[in-house]
Amino acid sequence: MRVVVAPVSTFPDGERRIVEVGGRSIGVFRVGESFYGIRNRCPHQGGPLCLGHVLGDAVADAPGQARVSSDPLRIACPWHGWEYDLDSGQSFMGGAMAGVRSYGARIEPGGSLLDSLPARPTERVPGPYVAETFEVRVEDAYVVLEV
Amino acid sequence: MRRRVELVDCDVHAQATEAMLAQYLSAPARRLLERYGRRTPRVTEWYPRARNAGMRLDAWPGKPGHIWGSDPELMRAQLLDEFGIDYAVLEVLSGQDCYDHPDFAAEWNQAINQWQLEEWLSFDPRLRGTIAVAHEYPALAVAEIERHAGDERFVAVLLPASAAEQLGSPKYWPIYEAAAAHGRPVAFHTGGYVDHRGAGYPSYYLEYHVGNGIVMQSQLASLVAGGTFDAVPGLRVVLTECGVAWAAALQWSLDAAWELMRDDHPRLERRPSEYVREHVWFTTQPIEEPDDPKQLVWAIEQAGIGERLLFATDYPHWDFDSPKQALPRAMNASLRRAILCENALALYGLPPERAVT
Amino acid sequence: MDAIDCDVHCAPESYEALFPHLNEYWRQYITEAGIRVNGMAHAYPRTIGAPAPANYPELADRVLNRGHVRFVILNCLTGFETHRNAYFAAAVASGLNDWVREEFLARDERLRASIVVSTISPEDAVAEIERVGEDRRFVQVLLPVRSDLPWGHKNNHAVFAAARERGLQVALHAWGRAGRAPTPSGFTTTYLEDYLSNQPIAQAQVLSFVSEGVFDRFPDLRVLLIECGFAWLPPLLWRFDKDWKGVWREVPWLGRRPSEYVREHFRATTAPAHLPRDPVLLDQLIEMLDGPGMLAYASDYPHEHGDGLPALLERLSDEQRRSVMWSTAAELYGLRRDPAPSRGA
Repeated sequence: MRVVVAPVSTFPDGERRIVEVGGRSIGVFRVGESFYGIRNRCPHQGGPLCLGHVLGDAVADAPGQARVSSDPLRIACPWHGWEYDLDSGQSFMGGAMAGVRSYGARIEPGGSLLDSLPARPTERVPGPYVAETFEVRVEDAYVVLEV
Repeated sequence: MRRRVELVDCDVHAQATEAMLAQYLSAPARRLLERYGRRTPRVTEWYPRARNAGMRLDAWPGKPGHIWGSDPELMRAQLLDEFGIDYAVLEVLSGQDCYDHPDFAAEWNQAINQWQLEEWLSFDPRLRGTIAVAHEYPALAVAEIERHAGDERFVAVLLPASAAEQLGSPKYWPIYEAAAAHGRPVAFHTGGYVDHRGAGYPSYYLEYHVGNGIVMQSQLASLVAGGTFDAVPGLRVVLTECGVAWAAALQWSLDAAWELMRDDHPRLERRPSEYVREHVWFTTQPIEEPDDPKQLVWAIEQAGIGERLLFATDYPHWDFDSPKQALPRAMNASLRRAILCENALALYGLPPERAVT
Repeated sequence: MDAIDCDVHCAPESYEALFPHLNEYWRQYITEAGIRVNGMAHAYPRTIGAPAPANYPELADRVLNRGHVRFVILNCLTGFETHRNAYFAAAVASGLNDWVREEFLARDERLRASIVVSTISPEDAVAEIERVGEDRRFVQVLLPVRSDLPWGHKNNHAVFAAARERGLQVALHAWGRAGRAPTPSGFTTTYLEDYLSNQPIAQAQVLSFVSEGVFDRFPDLRVLLIECGFAWLPPLLWRFDKDWKGVWREVPWLGRRPSEYVREHFRATTAPAHLPRDPVLLDQLIEMLDGPGMLAYASDYPHEHGDGLPALLERLSDEQRRSVMWSTAAELYGLRRDPAPSRGA
């Protein structure tokens, strides 16, 4: 089912709209030139997912050395903070170590083990919940939601 | 028309702004507050709540002068009506982490209780209150309990889980005696001034938050080992917002240690776990969520506290437990019903049916 | 069955026993200040257990010759008693390590020990690890579970680096310096409460090690919780995982669930075993622990905690029992039943 949400010109970057379609509440988001549609209901305990903050990633190269990136985008439930990939709806838990440098077993004089890092890369852990996502596209200058 | 009670929420936070409470203060106290503020920093300053500023984002009223949890209308719609809650027990935490001068502390707690009466308990018949007291000044606390003991809508006396002394200290017994004399349980709510001296101050809210369960373990040990339940036989306590699953391991430790060193505790007439099972209740939120939900049921059965669990949402905090979803399916219907309402009805003496319009 | 006993205590009867290992300044200081070894009297009252062996003949008679123990890990807690003079703490730590080597390690190849370090100055702790850490008879660095700052804090990471550089593990042992209130609300008034306080404190330390990314920095580090109990582990891990899921952005260096870090990196000794007697409940606890893989046997001689362990062991399979009595510790410390004869200082 095709739902016209709004003219693109009235839907600026960074905005979101909640629409009710056939008894379901769905959040439509614009980030840059991309649009996302995700069910406004957190699979964890039913919170209004689409009222939460949209965040990029937080990655740490080492304890205390954290940085944020704008990608991938997640929506964090306004209740317990479970985060869902805006694109796929997959929930993820926790960060991922960038793990760039290799781990030295022996330290040169003057050096320190503190400067070394584990080489073990870690994948971000997918969580058990997947939020329902919907296709959103631009058609003839309108934002269209496919339910 | 009357309806059978099905759901009691035993930990809801009506949250007052300073301005809301200041209106009940005497002029000198109000001036003191304006010029010098309260001397203990808020716990949110030591350990900022790293997700959603510690609140359900959708619980912001958006009304001038209001904050999360301060608007009875929003709470009624978003909590009581939304989930079909029959009774909700309010715990106003504004005095918990307080190291105010006794005169001010007395007034501050009077203000909290007056605010509950005027803004909440008369607003909706489903709401119940807890008597906030200046816990570090037991004589003042007892006076405040006496002031409100005649009002049935105050169902418990509220203290923090962390105070200047261990909760089992005889210093606080007059408060417990007064509560018991008036048939009220004492609810110890997570928070208060937590002086992390055993292992030192943690760095993160994550540690602090998980630590809430750990703190209550030592406090329960103190209540039992300190002979509190022998000194105040009618005392009932509600350990609030600290989780439930740790209770069995603590009882095993208490019992094993007591067997070894009973001579250090001549006042303790019975095994520690017996005191726990007779005098102690627990609110459920934040309920633990093991990968295998049946293990939570095991932990509850191991602790013998199936009839001691009181459902709570902790609205409007971020780690709110939804009444519809928080209890695992692994719990059978009878345990679920006990947790959702029966245990609370029994503890607080609430009517099992209520009038609905 | 041969066993590894992960916690047996020894302690000098007096500072005189350490004098050969302390310089003249410290000997004079100790004498003038009347400092005595009190055997951690606030921690181990005489009514419960016996004094720790003060020399090798006592240890041999009371422990080594009495049972089928292949290895014993000696933990001397006298260093925990030191006060806040950092230089004294460092000097005593060195003295104790030298005393342990001479009095015990040199006399019996069954013996291993923990390195005692200053608990006030990470810099001094590192220096002591560097001084004696190449001696393969030392298997780990001993820290008290009670601390001014949680052990996982970044200020302490140099200690773990120094330990790992020498293939040493770390142990957190119950108790610590006197004078600190053990609970968040101050002092306890009974021994029982003080004794049980080690368990909540150990829990807080577990949270710290994981949250501070210690195991991300030092992936081969293992921490043995000695005399801190273990039945509190499952509910703690449930809560830790749940809270982390919400606030992981505060500690984004954690790439896995906290419970996974704990299961991989922590071990716990079996004394005290504060457990139910009911076999059904014991089986449940074992399942909640994901099996007994984190447990390592310790007699904790001469301290007594009751007899909860045999009931637990009875619920285990032979292989599981072997892991508790032998292989978990063997793996932790790289111990083999018949080590090559060329090992030594």
